[in-house]
Amino acid sequence: MILIDSPVANTANIARALRTAGADLQITSDPDAIARAQKLVLPGVGSFAAAMRWLIEHRIDSAIRDAVNGGASLLGICVGHQLLFDLSHEMGTTRGLGLVPGEVRKFEGRLPVPQIGWNRVTARGPLFEGVENPVFYFVNSYAAANAPHEIARADYGGPFTAAVQNGRVFGVQFHPEKSSSAGLQVLRNFIAWK
Amino acid sequence: MEVIPSLDLLGGNVVRLTHGNFDTAKVYGEPEAVLASLDVPRGARLHVVDLEASRTGRPVETRIVERLASRDLIVQVGGGIRTLDDARRWFDCGAERVIVGTIAADGSPLLASLVETFGAQCIVPAVDIRNGVIRIAGWQRDAPVSIAEVFTRLESLAIPEALVTDISHDGVLRGPSFRLYRELARLTSIRIIASGGVSNAGDVVSLARQRNISGCVIGKALLERRIDLADALARVAMPNAIPERVIPCLDVRDGRVVKGVNFVDIRDAGDPVECARRYEDEGADEIVILDISATDANRQTALDTVRRVADSLFIPLTVGGGIRTVEDFRAMLRAGADRVAINTAAIRNPQLIADCASEFGVQAVVLSCDAKDGRVMVRSGKESADIDAVEWCRRAESLGAGEILLTSVNRDGTGAGFDIELLRAVTSVLKIGVIASGGAGKLEDFRDAIECGGARAVLAASLFHDRVLTVGEVKRHLAEEGIPVR
Repeated sequence: MILIDSPVANTANIARALRTAGADLQITSDPDAIARAQKLVLPGVGSFAAAMRWLIEHRIDSAIRDAVNGGASLLGICVGHQLLFDLSHEMGTTRGLGLVPGEVRKFEGRLPVPQIGWNRVTARGPLFEGVENPVFYFVNSYAAANAPHEIARADYGGPFTAAVQNGRVFGVQFHPEKSSSAGLQVLRNFIAWK
Repeated sequence: MEVIPSLDLLGGNVVRLTHGNFDTAKVYGEPEAVLASLDVPRGARLHVVDLEASRTGRPVETRIVERLASRDLIVQVGGGIRTLDDARRWFDCGAERVIVGTIAADGSPLLASLVETFGAQCIVPAVDIRNGVIRIAGWQRDAPVSIAEVFTRLESLAIPEALVTDISHDGVLRGPSFRLYRELARLTSIRIIASGGVSNAGDVVSLARQRNISGCVIGKALLERRIDLADALARVAMPNAIPERVIPCLDVRDGRVVKGVNFVDIRDAGDPVECARRYEDEGADEIVILDISATDANRQTALDTVRRVADSLFIPLTVGGGIRTVEDFRAMLRAGADRVAINTAAIRNPQLIADCASEFGVQAVVLSCDAKDGRVMVRSGKESADIDAVEWCRRAESLGAGEILLTSVNRDGTGAGFDIELLRAVTSVLKIGVIASGGAGKLEDFRDAIECGGARAVLAASLFHDRVLTVGEVKRHLAEEGIPVR
């Protein structure tokens, strides 16, 4: 498994959580290694545009697509999850990786943005198997809503997509590395998924 | 739960009286204009009181009720209803329900006649309670019967809903009478429309969490713009969607957790990593570390402690104490903190809040405010900065703080309960969340800080270190009291 070593992500925490969940992990930003990976984790925090720019500059966008086309499974986390979609409306419009149909928009409800904290999700599918109490930790101002491949939904002044699965491509809007046992279980499920 | 705007009518206008004095009526304008300005949605229930009628005993503002009832609003109207004909007059105007006061509690046979004539669901008894006793005749007299007897009678008449006002409460400072409503839940199956003391959107959410409450009447707080109706309706739609948090706090010095009342008589309370892990296992939603070491030399130790704790946790970690610059802030984030709390340095240089928010995002910035007698304290609560605490929190929000950690220096270490008045004063004027700190002594204190204080998280230190209570016990208690937890 490769954790993509992005400067616009808190890779250390995610690496620790993945290892605790049992992953044999390599942390790298080398596009050749990424293209050959069996399993990929794409983290991300901060702005969508900056994260996408970094992927393109380092040819990691095409490396990720090559890996997925070659049969690799992929998990995007937070902004890494948002990058999977067609595009984001954060500060103008930026194209994403297009691995999952849908668009990312700012929260429109009346609650304070960003959302900072725990939120309960309604979830199904293999990524959430064995999760007894599906409450996860979120930090986000933007999210997809009603995405076609939604596997988990939460509400923050309106429903939003908390997780997606399109074939072997998974994304979670929350931070599994900050979501205690529920988050570790999601990571275990991704590690075990075939 | 229905949110029911309340309009007091006098001379064709919406007014508010002070202490029931007709000479001091504050006029807000014609009802339609007021409704438009409040953004009252179609189909909403309105609570209308004809003040002149309550004084003279004859319906006066019938035209207004006709106009309102024709506008796709459900109108319940009250004011001096003393006969079947009074009630009929209001129903003829289009009112769907009438509110009756004194006759609901003085044993009058009129109540049964009203129910028989118009139907139990159209009669809303208004029960005013002061210190456990029902007051009647414009609060002038004690009712001849107990609360239990009144509700038994209402039940026997199959009345589904009663409007209950606690008139012993100073509403703005202490909020709705959650305790009274809880007692009523044990006493009666009649659903309660809560009235009085609702002064911010958090109050509305807290009422919506109580199962026996079917509605809440809001007057002054809407008219005075302390509550935005659309905001309240949005939050009430899903009052349990977002869990409230329980946060153990580790005061750390020289790599050890310490405890002591007001930083005096400091005792060792264990290894921070062991404490933090135990708290995560017990269900803590977040850990706060406050570095209380005094010197820069000890800062490196603090960073090391943060690193060790962060490396052992899978829940968010907030760190504070001695953060003076953007670089201090960055060092804590690098050491593994998710959020960093700024205190004294932000008072000396408020721009630090804005700088950290733009550098690291508002989600990373916590403003830690120590308040004593409503004023901001600095240097671990020892020195007054002579700034109003509420104003300071408001300013911090506008500068980019993502959350406020609000510690009552008066209450800290006393176990006398969180400072509800301070919490209400701050949470009423902020959109961002407030973590309540200082004074936790028993289970109910945590509930009150959230339910009445409007806090989005509750923090305690020695209570957990000494195992007086566990995090799990607090969370179970909150859940039992209807407050959502993870």
